[in-house]
Amino acid sequence: MKQPELSLIYRTLWVIVFAWSSTACTSNAHSQDPGPNSFIQDVIDAAQPKMVKVYGAGAGRVEGFATGILVSDDGKILTSQGVFLDGRQVKVVLADGTQYQATILKRDRVSQVSLLKIQAETPDYFELLSEPVGEKGDWVVALCNSFKVADKDEPVSATLGIISLRTTMEARLTKRDVAYQGELVLIDAITSNPGAAGGAVLTADGQLVGIVGKIINSSETNTRLNYAVPNSVLARFLQGKPDPIVASQPVEVVQQADLGVVLFQFGGRSNPAYVDRVVRGSPAAEAKLKTDDMIVSIDGNKIGSVRDYARVLETLRPDEEVLMIVKRGVEMVRIRITPRAKK
Amino acid sequence: MTGAKRRLAAGNRDIDICFWNDAKIEMTQRLCDSLDSRRGPRTPWMFALVFVIVLSPSLVGSQEEPASNRGDAEARRNPGEEKNETLSQAELFRAMSLTSRAFREAAKRIEPSLVTIESYGGVSAVQGRIGGIRSQGEGNTTGVMISPDGFIMTSTFNFIQQPPVISVITSDGRRRFAKLLGRDDTRKICLLKIDNVSDMPVPEMVDESEAEVGQWAMSIGVGYGDTSPALSIGIISAKNRIGGRAIQTDANLSPANYGGPLIDSQGRMLGICVPMNPQSQAIGAGVEWYDSGIGFAIPVANADRLIERLKSGERILPAFLGIQSAANPAGDGLLINRVVPKTAASDAGLKDKDILLEVNGEAVNDMLRLRQILNKFESGDSVELTVLRSESGKQDAVQVKLGVPPLPEGEEEQLEPPKIR
Repeated sequence: MKQPELSLIYRTLWVIVFAWSSTACTSNAHSQDPGPNSFIQDVIDAAQPKMVKVYGAGAGRVEGFATGILVSDDGKILTSQGVFLDGRQVKVVLADGTQYQATILKRDRVSQVSLLKIQAETPDYFELLSEPVGEKGDWVVALCNSFKVADKDEPVSATLGIISLRTTMEARLTKRDVAYQGELVLIDAITSNPGAAGGAVLTADGQLVGIVGKIINSSETNTRLNYAVPNSVLARFLQGKPDPIVASQPVEVVQQADLGVVLFQFGGRSNPAYVDRVVRGSPAAEAKLKTDDMIVSIDGNKIGSVRDYARVLETLRPDEEVLMIVKRGVEMVRIRITPRAKK
Repeated sequence: MTGAKRRLAAGNRDIDICFWNDAKIEMTQRLCDSLDSRRGPRTPWMFALVFVIVLSPSLVGSQEEPASNRGDAEARRNPGEEKNETLSQAELFRAMSLTSRAFREAAKRIEPSLVTIESYGGVSAVQGRIGGIRSQGEGNTTGVMISPDGFIMTSTFNFIQQPPVISVITSDGRRRFAKLLGRDDTRKICLLKIDNVSDMPVPEMVDESEAEVGQWAMSIGVGYGDTSPALSIGIISAKNRIGGRAIQTDANLSPANYGGPLIDSQGRMLGICVPMNPQSQAIGAGVEWYDSGIGFAIPVANADRLIERLKSGERILPAFLGIQSAANPAGDGLLINRVVPKTAASDAGLKDKDILLEVNGEAVNDMLRLRQILNKFESGDSVELTVLRSESGKQDAVQVKLGVPPLPEGEEEQLEPPKIR
């Protein structure tokens, strides 16, 4: 029994390969029935007319080009933010090679996307679902004009990968930019290349996962991220709703909190947050913090260094109790501590 | 670029069937549904597949074996047959979805033995570059529990800043302090130990000899800072790399997963992901190739002896010979331009202008070859050099005990991470 079963399975794979390679050269080989659940080649074929190339001003070594996707039948285009939008004019080239001047309808500093408009009818466009598309491990195709390899009516480049992780994360943009802190879809296809921003990331059945974001360095890993700004964030941007992550951030200036801890300072190094001295009568003293304790975390934030401590202290509010974990000898000790207003 | 992502290749023989166990009922239903609603007449092929999935328990959990290769070979022999059995687009998509499902299943199997490594303090990252590379990120790093009593294997890269305090978060969510034990600088791996544990989950491991070039390989790491690890899929690109120490993969490897496992489609660990560059032994070397499609993992399935050495706190260093040389313009071998004082070469009595012909019987005609040969050894190993002496003009066999690079004047060696207190 076993062998025929296995051969069937491997034949399945073989057929996949066969189909893949046969359509690699002739794009319309499978055009008889694309259907909503079509395969990668058809996904790419169907998406290409919805892709645009965006050209604008460059600045120094920063590229003046990007990719974009059509999102309406009247010429609305979603793309990334970037210096290419800052010049006198922005040029958009459709998949058929026709060129248009674009106007910028709106830009979003946080999600780092922008909406352009051209005076043209664009019957092929992406529908944005408001529900997240794609889960970890799903195959995705990224379509983008990295390094502006594609010119005029040439189709943009397709790369295959999987969704690595859906996450919200702290990441930092290369110089001069604000931090993007929203939801990200990390993928393992390499999209962190000049010109790729604004490209489409699609599932194997052609649904839009999101658009390739501008190049950012993760502060966690100090590496460039390959990621998509998810469709749900794009949909909110199009509808003009503020991003809830941003909206929920406190804006009022609160009084600075103090714990009454003096940390051990030791030149030239990034020190763990060892307690050198506890101020008498302070919250730290009441919580029985001791000299030589090492602060491991405050309110769920890991304190890797003296610098981390200073940063987290700024986020605390007076009279709001938080959980602090300290290393005392080899023990992990949990301490409840209530900051006071700094005098 | 991670170019070769055409993973649905026939070469991937281990597209695994064990996950079909969970998936078979649902998949059968879905396949039937999709065929009913979409296609009209079902192809005989699909009937056969559905039949197979539903009715054959023998399929479930079966190991890779020659049968699979026979099946594959059969498919190759009869290329005409597949044309008659061409799947619909929807069916192809379903098949593709199954691979995604397999990736998730494989990841799920190893996730319990992943640990998140946190470090506190260390060499300040302000200078920007450490050990010749861009500084490490601020985030946590990945390790793998390799024994129920709390030994964790990870990459030395994760401690490039020499943190004096290290803690790990195990999959049960508990944070514990860890001791850094021995390290192997030739493989860029090291051992951590957490105490007072006895039943930690460990991964199933697979030996390099069972791995095949072209099979699926997936890297997993927690370095992006989410509680859920990130996955990257690829294949095994080559085996026996870097002096036979590493397997090569085109899955994305980076600080996000250095120290984490490279696994096969059944969730078995193929090796520990590390940054490596055959041209350099520096601790950070190889990081410049992150996410490039060139990555390395160290197989440890049968490395009991190595693990014992690391448990005992040993530090294994790369072999250093101590000659500056160039290809011999007058013939075979390497012309030694300078013998570095206080090295293995000077101890063994090599002299300037000697010509190095062979190492352990292997001819060396360029520096790259010499480095490749030396990569197979570690500091402390002995090799036999065949040398043509410049003074006597005679060929000599010289025993050399390979050493470590000499320290610059006035510098003391730091084996341990510096302790603040």
